[in-house]
Amino acid sequence: MQTRLKTDPFTISIVKNALISAAEEMFTVTARTAQSPIIYDVLDFSTAITDHQGNVTAQATGIPLFIGIFDYTVKGVIGKYGLKEFRDGDVIVLNDPYMSGTHLNDVGVVAPIFFRDALVGFTASKGHWLDVGGMAFGSWGPGRTEIYQEGIQVPPSRLYSAGKPNQDLIAILRANSRIPNAIIGDMEAQVAGLRVGNRRVAKIIEKYGLETYQETIEKMMVDGETLARKRLSSLPHGAFHAEDFLDEGAEDGSPLPIHVHVKITDDAFFVDFTGNSKQLPFSLNTTYPATVAAVRVVYMAMIDPHLRYNQGVVAPLKIVAPEGTIFNALRPAPVSVYWEALTYAADLVWKALAPVARERLTAGHFLSVVAEIIAGVNDKNGEPFALVEPNAGGWGGSPDKDGESGLVSFADGETYASSVEVIENRYPIILDRYCFNTDDGVGHGEHRGGFGIIKDYRMLNSSAEFTTDVNRSVIFPWGVEGGKNGTGNYMVIIRKGREKVRVRKVSSFKLKKGDVVSIRTGGGGGWGDPLKRDPSLILSDVRNGFMTARVAQREYRVVIDQSSWKVGRATRRPRRLARSKMGSGGPTRV
Amino acid sequence: MGYRVAIDIGGGFTDLVAVDEKTGEMFWSKGRTSPQDLTEGIIEVFRLSGVEPSSCVQLLHGQTLVINSIVQRRGASVGLITTKGFRDILELQRSNRRDIFNLKYRKPPPFVPRHRRVEVDERVMADGTVLRGVKKAEVEEAWKKLAAENAESIAVCFINSYVNPANERAALKTIEKLNGTNGHSPVTISSDITREWREYERTNTAVLNAYVMPLVEGYITRLTSRFRQMKFNGAFYMMLSSGGVASFDYVKRAPIETVESGPVAGVIAGTKIAELMGERRVIVLDGGSTTTKASLVEDLAIKYTTNYSVERDDFNPGYPIKVPIVDIVEIGNGGGSIAWVDEVGNLKVGPVSAGAVPGPACYGMGGSEPTVTDAYLAVGFLSPDYFLGGQFSLREDLARESLERVARHFHLSTEEAAFAVIRLANDNAAQVLRLVSVQRGHDPRDFALIAHGGSGPMLSPFIAEELEIPKIIVPVIPPGNFSAWGLLVSDLKHEVTKTAIERLDSPRIQEVFNGGYAELSSEVVSLLGGERKMLLHRTADLRYYGQEHTIRVDANAGKMTTREVTEVGHRFRSQHSKEYGFELEAPVELVNLHVAGVVVSDKPVIRELSGEGRSLAKSLKEERAVYWGSEWVKTKVYERGLLPPLTQVEGPAVLEEPTTTTLVRRGYSARSDRYGNLELTAK
Repeated sequence: MQTRLKTDPFTISIVKNALISAAEEMFTVTARTAQSPIIYDVLDFSTAITDHQGNVTAQATGIPLFIGIFDYTVKGVIGKYGLKEFRDGDVIVLNDPYMSGTHLNDVGVVAPIFFRDALVGFTASKGHWLDVGGMAFGSWGPGRTEIYQEGIQVPPSRLYSAGKPNQDLIAILRANSRIPNAIIGDMEAQVAGLRVGNRRVAKIIEKYGLETYQETIEKMMVDGETLARKRLSSLPHGAFHAEDFLDEGAEDGSPLPIHVHVKITDDAFFVDFTGNSKQLPFSLNTTYPATVAAVRVVYMAMIDPHLRYNQGVVAPLKIVAPEGTIFNALRPAPVSVYWEALTYAADLVWKALAPVARERLTAGHFLSVVAEIIAGVNDKNGEPFALVEPNAGGWGGSPDKDGESGLVSFADGETYASSVEVIENRYPIILDRYCFNTDDGVGHGEHRGGFGIIKDYRMLNSSAEFTTDVNRSVIFPWGVEGGKNGTGNYMVIIRKGREKVRVRKVSSFKLKKGDVVSIRTGGGGGWGDPLKRDPSLILSDVRNGFMTARVAQREYRVVIDQSSWKVGRATRRPRRLARSKMGSGGPTRV
Repeated sequence: MGYRVAIDIGGGFTDLVAVDEKTGEMFWSKGRTSPQDLTEGIIEVFRLSGVEPSSCVQLLHGQTLVINSIVQRRGASVGLITTKGFRDILELQRSNRRDIFNLKYRKPPPFVPRHRRVEVDERVMADGTVLRGVKKAEVEEAWKKLAAENAESIAVCFINSYVNPANERAALKTIEKLNGTNGHSPVTISSDITREWREYERTNTAVLNAYVMPLVEGYITRLTSRFRQMKFNGAFYMMLSSGGVASFDYVKRAPIETVESGPVAGVIAGTKIAELMGERRVIVLDGGSTTTKASLVEDLAIKYTTNYSVERDDFNPGYPIKVPIVDIVEIGNGGGSIAWVDEVGNLKVGPVSAGAVPGPACYGMGGSEPTVTDAYLAVGFLSPDYFLGGQFSLREDLARESLERVARHFHLSTEEAAFAVIRLANDNAAQVLRLVSVQRGHDPRDFALIAHGGSGPMLSPFIAEELEIPKIIVPVIPPGNFSAWGLLVSDLKHEVTKTAIERLDSPRIQEVFNGGYAELSSEVVSLLGGERKMLLHRTADLRYYGQEHTIRVDANAGKMTTREVTEVGHRFRSQHSKEYGFELEAPVELVNLHVAGVVVSDKPVIRELSGEGRSLAKSLKEERAVYWGSEWVKTKVYERGLLPPLTQVEGPAVLEEPTTTTLVRRGYSARSDRYGNLELTAK
């Protein structure tokens, strides 16, 4: 594209970077002023700046899933009000998943940016609120059959009108939460982020002029699209296909088959989910905007993970998902555990392309966000508490390396696993251990999968409620080119040190003082034949306690001498041990 | 009375600046760094300066030993002792994927492998209660296990030790006893280095401290014994990353606090010059032999970073270090950087450096790879006979010969090849300026550039033009020794912190404030060794009840009564509203108490320059051919030291002085102010 620019390229790059640092400052301010660890420690939120039509121009490094959803959030707001209705100082709040993606807990706030009476763009922030009402503490969880059980629904509404807070609406939000002080504090933090963003953008325009500003954002989009198409042309072209199973959803309760078709041409990247199951009366459905956001992550990984994301970059991506299916659920389908269907949507695309994109992708990873809620009223001060967090797990091997151990799911990015000390300070909980899950192991391979985690929470409070909904628990992360499948995600409830209940889906399970919730995430899939693995790596795994010498002998046919730390080849092929799909553990409670 | 001496060791050179306390007279010298034994280089610069160690009262020291040994992975083999159930914290890290769209992300590998991480069954609760004390026998067992794994240095980090370090201290005692009977392996406990919550960040800080400890300890011991032999009876101080200086004994225990020791002194020096010249917004640029560094200073306030991590960038989280550190950005590109042609035929400069040995080809010490310095010599920016004031001569023939390979590859003349190397090096250096300004939303056009380091004044004219920086300042202090001078203008400083979480409306609050400050004040006094001219500054970190992040506000001196506590609360509320635009109804909570003790040093004064014996005519030393990028131009070369104050030199011109060369390009002029500082501006 040949456009003659009035502004010199140097100024353009200053304005561009100033915009990005404005989005990053929004992020920092929100983290610094928030009330809940899920915002300030885990960073389960994102911030962005859009143009006046809702196209994303700049965003902070945060949750990639949210980054891919801001256009829907802002366009939803514009769709309701039109461009003429906004006034300086307005802040719009919304959480409608069918319009703006994800679930009711993820609340978006959007503020129009004005420069001398002209609407020049929007700042937006989306963050996880700990509780927005619904049938159980924490709002999300299994067992919901329609959205009305998942909390308060907020269509785009004015939280602030020309700078004045809408106290009636705030009172309604408060009244619908089990932990009102925290969510209102977090809301203030999100709004504080928007205010900073608006001030920064206005300052940029004041300094460089509106024309330069607009020229810059247009150029960012055009450059983004040009670069994306350029990268696209160097990807393997053709039609690709993948099949997999959701852990449940077929009518007889067994795993539900799912599939995708992908087509890559010189100037488009098509993803087609046609033919998948209609939406289910389970919480795991995902809405279209969230599906798009998830697939955008794999698309970015494929074309060039270091391209600065903006609307132009994702222009070549086309996604078809018929309405009323699990990947494009319509009201009133429950969506509070949306990340499950959503992660599988992206994982299908990943699985279809992994064999041809060896430089960009790995074997399957633990996939599920593996989140839990532990909530209640603190005995010590009578205040409500809610621990909500995503967990890390094992990633898949790839042609040039083992899978990473203890890393957040692809849907999370600059998202932090909770700090043990922050949790113990903020909740009536103590951790017995937080370590790698070497018990369940990984998918073996020339490059093995990475390890998941084990985290044991012991209740110090007289009572608490526990909710979780975990997938990749029955059908494990996939291996590639002879690499073995990984292992599954699950949780275990330990009572009085003895009773073990293994759970995958549970809502408001009543915990008592001394009970332990043990979170176990799976290991990633392997890449390549285990018998080709470099013996020195096997030695290092055994020496570091990642696997026993017995496992090394069984899976890799090498003998490790643990006194001299030397390797030898096993002479006879050991008998393969029959393994259950679920690995170790007690009864399954669903 | 005697000399206060500062020594700054960089990758290529070791610099000395000394001030005679009585007369205020300044001496300087510069010699090559001796990587095999850094003390050799120090002794050499003393010899060159003529200052006798026996007549010195203070030795202030800045080094890059700590950062280099981390980045080059030259530290000790560390063994880590943790709370039972948590040995994987160091490798789990925070599990974040900073490179968010990269699905083949790699986590930074831990500095201690799993087989050298051992657990002991102890536990402190979040409120500081000791649930299980640490058993001596278990620590001994752990120590033996680590000794068998050849651990050379031990780190201990227990969960919640930031609230109550009792168990870590008990473990330390046991290990020290074992060390006493079994030979020495240094030990670090996390609570001695940082009292901030978050176990991964604290563990990593402790591990990196342990990682560099044996090296630093060995170095300090060698240095002090050499100097005692030379009858030096003064006090030793080292620059901390926080911008203060501390005793060698302190640094031996907490070497990680000197991770940015070298670069920080340059920023402090730059701030002093900015103050002298009335510049409010400056970027201090240090062009060294192995790296180029920059730091941005607004309103004379040095910026600190709260999330410093070694090797952190846009896509890599790096390794967090939780100690106070001045915000500096650095890239591996300097005068000694080697130019090379990559496999697809592109010209590259750095990050590999020829270092001090063998150094650039033109040093004639066996180096044959072309470096940026060789390029400077080949185009005539540098004089072969005036390097370090003629301390040693450069071999132009060897410089040109080294550049031949580049020239042949691109079918260029030698000088064209040399200039290509210079342009590329300048591009790399410009990147560091972009990182501190443009990338953080500052417009470089609003700043003056203070250029120092051996190559700073040589590369600045090119990058200033590219970034449209209106003014370059080359300080009157020998720019190549500017960081060392920064050591002399730094104060002896210690800050101690105590976490004391208590709401301001609690009945215990006055007791918490007063008791805490009393404890911290006596700790600071003992750290500063009872110096008389000490200033104590008390601050407190507060937050709204429920928040995590705190804001630091001043606390009054003296007893904290109801009135003072209320005042501190007000200060917090108004600061919060100023920074974030909102106030909350929520009560305010105290989180940390800090006491900083400062012993203000007698700083050398920069005097107005006398015009006597100086004139433009006198300073003109030759006209020589210089290749400015398109043609050889006969260029006037001036001796900077002979330039009178308030004099203007028009470009093209070269201003030479022993430690650096300032380039004045065509269309620019350089003007000396009344102190002798140079200001370069476009005409």
